[in-house]
Amino acid sequence: MAAENPALTFDNRAPTGWLQRIREARLPWIPITILLVIVFCAIFADLISPFDPRENDVRNKVQPPFATSDHILGTDKLGKDVLSRLIHGSRTMLQVTAPSMIVAILAGTVVGLVSGYSGRWVDSALMRITDAVLGFPSILVALLIVTYLGTGVWNVMIAIAATQWARFARMIRGEVLSVRDRDFVVLAQIYGVSPGMIVWRHLFPNVINTLMVLTSVSIGQVILLEASLSFLGLGLKVGDPAWGIMIAEGRKLLTQAWWIALFPGVIITIVVMAFNFFGDWLRDYLDPRLRRAG
Amino acid sequence: MTAYIGRRLIEGIITLIALSFVVFGSVHLSGDPARFLLPISAEHDESVYEEQKKRLGLDKPFIVQYGNFLKKAIFLDFGNSFTERRPVQEILKERIPATVHLALAGMILAVGIGVPLGIISAVKRDTLLDRVCKAFAIFGMAVPQFWIAIMLIILFAGYWGWLPAYGRGDTQGWLPEWSEIPNMFRHLILPAGVLALAIIAAIMRLARSAMLEVLDTDYVKFAQVKGMGDRVVIWKHAARNALIPVITFGGISLAGLLNGSVVVEVVFAWPGVGLMLLDGVLSNNYPQVLGAIMVSGAAYILTALVVDILYGYADPRVRLN
Repeated sequence: MAAENPALTFDNRAPTGWLQRIREARLPWIPITILLVIVFCAIFADLISPFDPRENDVRNKVQPPFATSDHILGTDKLGKDVLSRLIHGSRTMLQVTAPSMIVAILAGTVVGLVSGYSGRWVDSALMRITDAVLGFPSILVALLIVTYLGTGVWNVMIAIAATQWARFARMIRGEVLSVRDRDFVVLAQIYGVSPGMIVWRHLFPNVINTLMVLTSVSIGQVILLEASLSFLGLGLKVGDPAWGIMIAEGRKLLTQAWWIALFPGVIITIVVMAFNFFGDWLRDYLDPRLRRAG
Repeated sequence: MTAYIGRRLIEGIITLIALSFVVFGSVHLSGDPARFLLPISAEHDESVYEEQKKRLGLDKPFIVQYGNFLKKAIFLDFGNSFTERRPVQEILKERIPATVHLALAGMILAVGIGVPLGIISAVKRDTLLDRVCKAFAIFGMAVPQFWIAIMLIILFAGYWGWLPAYGRGDTQGWLPEWSEIPNMFRHLILPAGVLALAIIAAIMRLARSAMLEVLDTDYVKFAQVKGMGDRVVIWKHAARNALIPVITFGGISLAGLLNGSVVVEVVFAWPGVGLMLLDGVLSNNYPQVLGAIMVSGAAYILTALVVDILYGYADPRVRLN
């Protein structure tokens, strides 16, 4: 019966319910699970970590992992619990990277939209600046900013945002250029819609996919940049539960206590990999045109 | 071609001037060096302050000050380092060779490993080797450089004791003594390897996808149909064309390496410009920071310029753009 009616066959095969749609999307479950675990740890850090991440336990300092029943992953040179610091580190990571990413995305989107839509000298001026920022290694730009603003979490966040917005601006501008001369935009212009309204209602919705893909692809880089800046001692203070700082502390004891530096590095690598895999998947899912060879 | 080189040269110079303006401007905004440099005993003495200001030329208008800065910067004169109490120029002369050595060694390692691996994994697509290479690339792009550096020090310098953990040995300047060369290479292996890791991953993926594209073209297929041996087709016909994007990327990464080695230099206590820059940043040592950033920036812009010009020679399509 179904085979005789093509419409019915088609209906049967198309993903209708959300469950079916999820199955069709081939979600990358392993990276998603890892990211959910990290977010869970960040939110409930106080509940699930066995110790206070800042508490010194001088009687149990530099304990190797699995040596005592309390400190599963060992302790650092002041007796702080490594596992608790790792868990709280996920919160620190999100607190630093999320706001700077949001600022970078907002700034980049505005610059990209304005630059792409207005064209002419506004475009070339904005793109010159964008290329200059983009061309320079982010760590150098970040160092320059930290030099003049001073060290501290806020300044590191500003530095991250200042290095990341350019990538968004470039990409969004390109997308806007490809949409700007399409019929629906031209018609809206003829109809007398204001430029602000055209950008907001007709151009912006067309760049959202690109924005999401670029965000998920960049997060990994931002996490690495943040960890590097913490490691160099430019952001948070020694003793704060951040992965980069834990590695810096472990470096001072590397011949006696390898575990202090080992675990945070493993976690950073896993999280960055998870974001990269998720970003690749999102790119393929939202926009098969962007798929690279291989 | 001359017009192309000329245009790129002018662009490069404009970028350099813009960089110097931004760097100098931020010093200007960040505070008053005259007050900063006052001895503690004369902190509230306005006459000493005015005198200091005059001596440093800070009483002149911004544009004049900027012009003076530019004039000195051309000869790498950035004043005295606050902490070391000697000219920044002298420190730079010691530090630049170290950074260049490290960047070149890292680049040679990255290209030497990344290009062959990328080509082989394209030719042997979807085999075990291809998958191992892909896994390595994914790992290389996700791992924090400073962490892998520490882990390698723990293993190679601490646990096995095969390689030195820190520094550059007794090597100084551009060319070491003959007897010093083996020791120089022993000191280079770990930092250069860490520096190369992330680039190997990128070069490998780039070479692989470029190679896959080239292998799919008519001229490669025709060469195969003609009955030419696999080796000649792969290495002579395909690889040569696949390498063009790789070379550009390699050039740009070399420029990035000259600067991007800050983290690696810090971990390995490598006495280069990156370490000098970070030391300056952490101790508010403005002349040192200015010198290090201007030199790194200029090196970056010049390398990118040279790469672009060479690329213009290699691929005539670029010039027309």
